[in-house]
Amino acid sequence: MTEQAIVVVREEPRPNGWWGMLLLIATEASLFGTLIATYFYLRFETVAWPPDGIAEPKLLRPLVLTAILVFTSVPMWVAVQAARLGRRGLLWANLLAALAIGALYLWFQADLLRKNALLFTPRTDAYGSIYYTLQVAHAAHVFAGLLLNAWLLSKIWRRVTVCRLFGVQAVALYWHFVNALAVVVVLTILSPSL
Amino acid sequence: MAATDIAAAERVERLERLWAEPHGLWTFLTTVDHKKIGKRYLVTAFAFFVLAGAEALTMRTQLAQPGERLVGPKEFNQLFSMHGITMIFLFVTPMLSGFGNYFVPLMIGARDMAFPRMNALSYWIFLGAGFFMYSSFLFQLAPNDGWFNYVPLSDSVFTPERNIDFYNLGLLFLTISTTAGAVNFIVTILRMRAPGMSINRMPLFCWALLATSLSVIFALPALSAANIMLELQRKFGFHFFDVKKGGDPLLWQHLFWIFGHPDVYIIFLPAIGIVSTIIPTFSRRPVVAYTWVALATMSTGFIGFGVWVHHMFATGLPQVTMIFYSAASMLITIPSGVQVFAWTATVLTGRPVLRTPMLYVLGFIVVFVVGGVTGVMFAAIPFDQQVTDSYFVVAHFHYVLFGGAVFPIFAAIHYWFPKITGRMMSERLGVVGFWIFFVGFNLTFFPMHISGLLGMPRRVWTYEHGLGWDVYNLLSTIGAFTLALGILLVVVNVLLSLSGGPLAGPDPWGANTLEWATTSPPPDYNFPVVPTVRSANPNWDPADRLEDERRLREGSYVLDDGHETPATTVLDADVDRVLAMPSESPWPFALALALTIFFTLFLVAHFVFAAISSVLIFAALLGWHATEPQQS
Repeated sequence: MTEQAIVVVREEPRPNGWWGMLLLIATEASLFGTLIATYFYLRFETVAWPPDGIAEPKLLRPLVLTAILVFTSVPMWVAVQAARLGRRGLLWANLLAALAIGALYLWFQADLLRKNALLFTPRTDAYGSIYYTLQVAHAAHVFAGLLLNAWLLSKIWRRVTVCRLFGVQAVALYWHFVNALAVVVVLTILSPSL
Repeated sequence: MAATDIAAAERVERLERLWAEPHGLWTFLTTVDHKKIGKRYLVTAFAFFVLAGAEALTMRTQLAQPGERLVGPKEFNQLFSMHGITMIFLFVTPMLSGFGNYFVPLMIGARDMAFPRMNALSYWIFLGAGFFMYSSFLFQLAPNDGWFNYVPLSDSVFTPERNIDFYNLGLLFLTISTTAGAVNFIVTILRMRAPGMSINRMPLFCWALLATSLSVIFALPALSAANIMLELQRKFGFHFFDVKKGGDPLLWQHLFWIFGHPDVYIIFLPAIGIVSTIIPTFSRRPVVAYTWVALATMSTGFIGFGVWVHHMFATGLPQVTMIFYSAASMLITIPSGVQVFAWTATVLTGRPVLRTPMLYVLGFIVVFVVGGVTGVMFAAIPFDQQVTDSYFVVAHFHYVLFGGAVFPIFAAIHYWFPKITGRMMSERLGVVGFWIFFVGFNLTFFPMHISGLLGMPRRVWTYEHGLGWDVYNLLSTIGAFTLALGILLVVVNVLLSLSGGPLAGPDPWGANTLEWATTSPPPDYNFPVVPTVRSANPNWDPADRLEDERRLREGSYVLDDGHETPATTVLDADVDRVLAMPSESPWPFALALALTIFFTLFLVAHFVFAAISSVLIFAALLGWHATEPQQS
């Protein structure tokens, strides 16, 4: 068969920025993998978990909050489609929706941590240390997503260019990753009660 | 004919104009040219090598005879800690990044790295983090708990001063640079290869950097997590490693070595990539078993993640755990063995030309095999438990790391000097330098095997007469100064040849990779046309080089409409788009400066000011992204 006879069917190739984001996500995933491994390492060294009479985490509120956060992947997905089609209004509205819900999630999450801090702190014991480290590391990643989202909103205010489409795709990829991470983190945190 | 020649000359002139950078301080701070950044990496990393060497010579002088009082125990702790940190984090890794920066785009026929500004950022952060860590010497507060910084010694109870904060924060800072560099290498290697350079035709140096960079992506977070946890414990009273509060000091060791052993391969893989590059050139034939070598490189990087516990055989872990890691450590010798056999077969079946770079490579094979053999000995748990923390270990890891990385780096200096500077180094001085270097190395480190077996523990600042260690230590010290003389000769050779060496021409060695298909030193745009590639040894395909000239005359693949280079698909390297590359930008420097300010304020525990200074970081990021490539 000659070379010309081969029909090449392939998807639209990803831009370099998308690859860069993928690798950032890979290294961030390793960071969280290390933190979660630390959580279970410390747990398996201890008889009672949580130790020192700390109450087991309550399930309902964190799970509902996580579900809400994960839901923001829907407007983010719609935003990417809208950007691809060049529908600026739809793109803007969906980014804003994801931003608003994400901000709300962060607010409630901060409230949850503040209430927990009355019962135990990172200085109480190793459980408290890894509990808050995981939660704050996760919240920081949600916050980074919000900043990226806000920055996109300011950028596409006037015009959607190819470069900005790539930006939307890359930020959306990061956003989905943070949401997937939220599930893993919350299941780890809640594991004593599950 | 004449008309097309004129057109070709006009195209080259246009490229010159498009890619030229003005001279001056502003360009110095804003350049994104991978060749300039690569040279900076090389020079800066070599400066750190000199510092690490000075530390080593001080230690060897202190240990030359029993009861020396040149330095005290406190200074000695800082010396050996900073020697290790410098060699690993500030010399070998950035030096190899320097070669990668300079040569990966040239080898794959690209005009720049995938993310040129991030490339500049990586360099500036490396420089900032290097200054950050070395500034600790000004206050006599250099890290002093060894390069692996075990707790509880390194917690705030036993090391209350800022020594370890310099370590934690300095490494966190440096990690940003290394990670950004790894991302850049991966995307560059996967996406920027010249059309036709499918993945099975990629130079082995690129395979090695790909494996290294993937290891960086997955290994460094473990170090960062450990640094963050220790810093939280030191500064904010967390309890990760505190037994009384449910923490565990062994957690540090696990996290450190989950990073630390892959890091051995992060150091070693690019170096063997250099070896796989130089051997075919000086054996006058393609490398034997290209596919096997490429796969061995990748699998070494992969298996490297499964052997970390062999650094912890003496910590009282369960027998079953240790046996698993012992087996994995034996397993990793297989890909290393494959490569050694492939190199040996290449040399034996070729027509070897013994020029200086090849001497260093052959020296590397000898030394590395010795280090590999003692490595296999460590994989046996009972032996490891006998010699752990003795000078035998020091001997072993210098044979694998100095042998495995510094020999290839010196080979690379001699090999690529003509490409970078356009001039040849003195062959006679090179050969003399090599032999002094080789003898000095073995004289320094071989006796350490014996002093280790005789029971000399590592990291002791002095020892008493009558333990039977005196003569071996004296030999090591003599060897260290011999080695330093060899290195000095290389430096002299470099300095003399910079202006006085004979002109090299584009391809003085008759090599097979694409960096030799352009002038020495290469022009700002690297290649006047995107090179034609139809084999794994593109510079040995004269027809394809003629094809390049034809392309230039006809104006195809010249890309002289802007600052452009092609992007290609990951596996087949089919053209996928033409990228408009960024040119000079002040933001990488600004961002690195903002980060330096942030980490410095954090170090001196002004947390509020540190938080405020993060505004500078965000401002730099916004400035960075304010300009966009003008695409429709």
